[in-house]
Amino acid sequence: MRVTQSMLANNMLKHLSTSYANLGKYQEQLSTGKKINRPSDDPVVAMKGIAYRTNLTEVEQFKRNFSEAYNWVENSDAALDKATQALQRIRELVVQASNDTYEETQRQAISQEIKQLTEQLVTIANTKVGDKYIFNGTNTLQQPVQMVNGSITTSSNAEEVKIELAKGIYIGVNVDPTKVFHYDASQKGKGLFSDLQFLANDLDDPTKTGKDINEYLGYIDKHITNLLGVRAELGARMNRIELMEDRIDSQQVIAEKMLADNEDVDMEKVITDLKTQESVHRAALAVGARIIQPTLVDFLR
Amino acid sequence: MLSTFHGLEAAKRGMMTQQSALYVTGHNVANANTPGFTRQRVNFVATEPFPAPGLNRPQIPGQMGTGVKVGSIERVREYFLDIQYRGENNKLGYWEARADAIAKMEDIMNEPSDNGLAKTMAQFWQALQDLSVSPENEGARSVVRQRGLAVVETFHYLANSLSQIQTDIGTQIGVAVTQINSLAKQISEINQQIASIEPNGYLPNDLYDERDRLIDELSKLINVQVEKHPTGGNAPATAEGTYDIYFLNGNEKIYLVQGGNFQFISFPNGQDVDGDKDHIKEMPPATGVTELQVGNTSVSFTSNNQVTFPMGKLRGLIEAYGYVNGQDSNGKPIVTGIYPDMLQNLDKLAYTFGTLFNEVHKQGYGLNGSTGVSFFAGLNQVDGAAKTIGLSAAIDDLANIAASTKQNESGNGNNAINLANVGSMLLSAGTVSLIGTTNTIQISTLNLPLTSGTIQTNYQGWIGKLGVDGEQANRMKNNSDVLRQSVEERRQSVSSVSLDEEMMNMIKFQHAYNAAARQITVVDEMLDKIINGMGIVGR
Repeated sequence: MRVTQSMLANNMLKHLSTSYANLGKYQEQLSTGKKINRPSDDPVVAMKGIAYRTNLTEVEQFKRNFSEAYNWVENSDAALDKATQALQRIRELVVQASNDTYEETQRQAISQEIKQLTEQLVTIANTKVGDKYIFNGTNTLQQPVQMVNGSITTSSNAEEVKIELAKGIYIGVNVDPTKVFHYDASQKGKGLFSDLQFLANDLDDPTKTGKDINEYLGYIDKHITNLLGVRAELGARMNRIELMEDRIDSQQVIAEKMLADNEDVDMEKVITDLKTQESVHRAALAVGARIIQPTLVDFLR
Repeated sequence: MLSTFHGLEAAKRGMMTQQSALYVTGHNVANANTPGFTRQRVNFVATEPFPAPGLNRPQIPGQMGTGVKVGSIERVREYFLDIQYRGENNKLGYWEARADAIAKMEDIMNEPSDNGLAKTMAQFWQALQDLSVSPENEGARSVVRQRGLAVVETFHYLANSLSQIQTDIGTQIGVAVTQINSLAKQISEINQQIASIEPNGYLPNDLYDERDRLIDELSKLINVQVEKHPTGGNAPATAEGTYDIYFLNGNEKIYLVQGGNFQFISFPNGQDVDGDKDHIKEMPPATGVTELQVGNTSVSFTSNNQVTFPMGKLRGLIEAYGYVNGQDSNGKPIVTGIYPDMLQNLDKLAYTFGTLFNEVHKQGYGLNGSTGVSFFAGLNQVDGAAKTIGLSAAIDDLANIAASTKQNESGNGNNAINLANVGSMLLSAGTVSLIGTTNTIQISTLNLPLTSGTIQTNYQGWIGKLGVDGEQANRMKNNSDVLRQSVEERRQSVSSVSLDEEMMNMIKFQHAYNAAARQITVVDEMLDKIINGMGIVGR
């Protein structure tokens, strides 16, 4: 085959530009850390990339939802703890007051304290986290217990507040307020606040005997048991949430790993490739320098 | 009887011939880097010997040569390689145009990345999840609105950018057609010149080169076939004649150039791109290409739903720009092509997404008890939905965002979860059940343009297809480029100027020239002997 200078020059230029293009590709891979930059580089990687990203965003979102779930559960538990303490104190006071040796003024003092404790329980029932009341079911913007001039009304909503913590798994994070902070004046032993009001009234009533007061011990105990039951359930749920968080954590690791495996570059490989390409490029340049030699023209003078 | 000056005459011819060979060498060297230049060769021919055969020939022992002359100055070129080169160039033109159009689309779609539509949507779903855990929070509502706005704006951006590029491709088609017309005109003009030179016995080599270069250029744009026609007269046997250029459409041959005549190509119903006085409509109609007109013959782009238009850059551009491929049931033309398809896909996606989202949104209740409110507006029809989708005015009041499945439940975020799940709702399902309510969504009653997979998988599929198309176009572009280069190399091997070779020739011709001059000296000395040295015996 007849070879001419222009062919050599064209070929050299072609090879140099191919070599440059490869260097450019490796540079892009190294500086972005990604194997591909457009779908046509590798359609499968691109498609999977979109799916994995969606997956990862979802998992990250569930992780974010956990903090809100903890927020609910922990605040509810803390509030219920305070409520239990208040009820314990009330129980002590009832025990004291059921003693017939207490005279009227002393009973009134106890009654006063119980009224104070009732108010505290109302405050606890009206616990607000952020901008929501946590003991009013899904009706979070409305105060569950109103106390006007000592008379109490409740408007509790027993709906569950659900949070999605994994794909398709919804966990209720609130406490059913009707189980604890309830008002039912129809009968004694039914509602917490109604019972406390009955108790205070009875203590203020001089005709009531220690035996009458003693009757409340049973009711109070029932409310305490209720509270403890609710807290136990809450604890169990928290446990479940923690377990789920563990799972989501590992899911996140897996999702990130899949994403990385799919589209992140293997640094060692690319750096090696780059180094190889660099020497190829140097060789191409050196060859070029040898090929663009003085021609016959230079020797014929 | 030989003439006295026979030797001088033969040597003079030698000098003149070597001199013209040196000039041709100079021309070759000077054009070593001229694109399309073919090296030229002087064909030396020995002149008629003496004596010529005949009855009155002198009786001498044999015929004696009378020197040399330039038989012809010829291009060293292989026509077959030209045909091969043009075939590959034609494919390269097509795949280059296609790869380029797809690369631009990939740039706009920007997937997979952290700023594409997929990510924007993912962020929207995320905001809705955030809303579901704190539905009473104004902040969370505001984020949902802003992210919804971001999705809408991404749709607008994508649709507008794609339309913009599509229009640009239309202009590119106009430029390509102008180029084809101009090339046809130039070739016909060269044909005219050649037709007036050849009959005089000359070979207009440089005009041949220019004409071949123009045809090379033309072959990248459309598929052409060349036929040679001798010009007659006193034309040498190696004359190329005039070229007729045919536009090949399947088995059909439509002439573009015939000798000194040529035909314009244009789009019926198209637009005049340069607005000049020729009234040629180089740009295709905005509604997509149906046919191209070559002179008065129309060439349809498709036949039986198959693109039958020949390869070349023009086809690549038209496929990207969009062409009419049949009619739908309402008699409306169906426009397909790389850009129209993606634009339609975006419209379908925007419409499906917006409509389904609205439907779920209407099932829920806002903070203020509102229900049946649409979140997105501007979704009256599928066509153009990606450009018209917007947030409904009701959403300006954040309390109207329906996060709850029940009225007056501020802490109920169930509908926000439903909304967050819209992206992964199965579009083929007849009914979709919702969390926190017994209401269901009847997918079939919504008449959604997408009927399988989910919003996410549909989008993923399109990006995948775009990637596969791009990969194929890039691969074919590289393949045809390599093939073209190898043909080009073979062509160069035959036709390009080698300086070494020219230097060798130069030396050869120079020495021959010198030797011919020396021959004159010899003859001169001989004559000197005869004229001045003879008949002077004893002087």
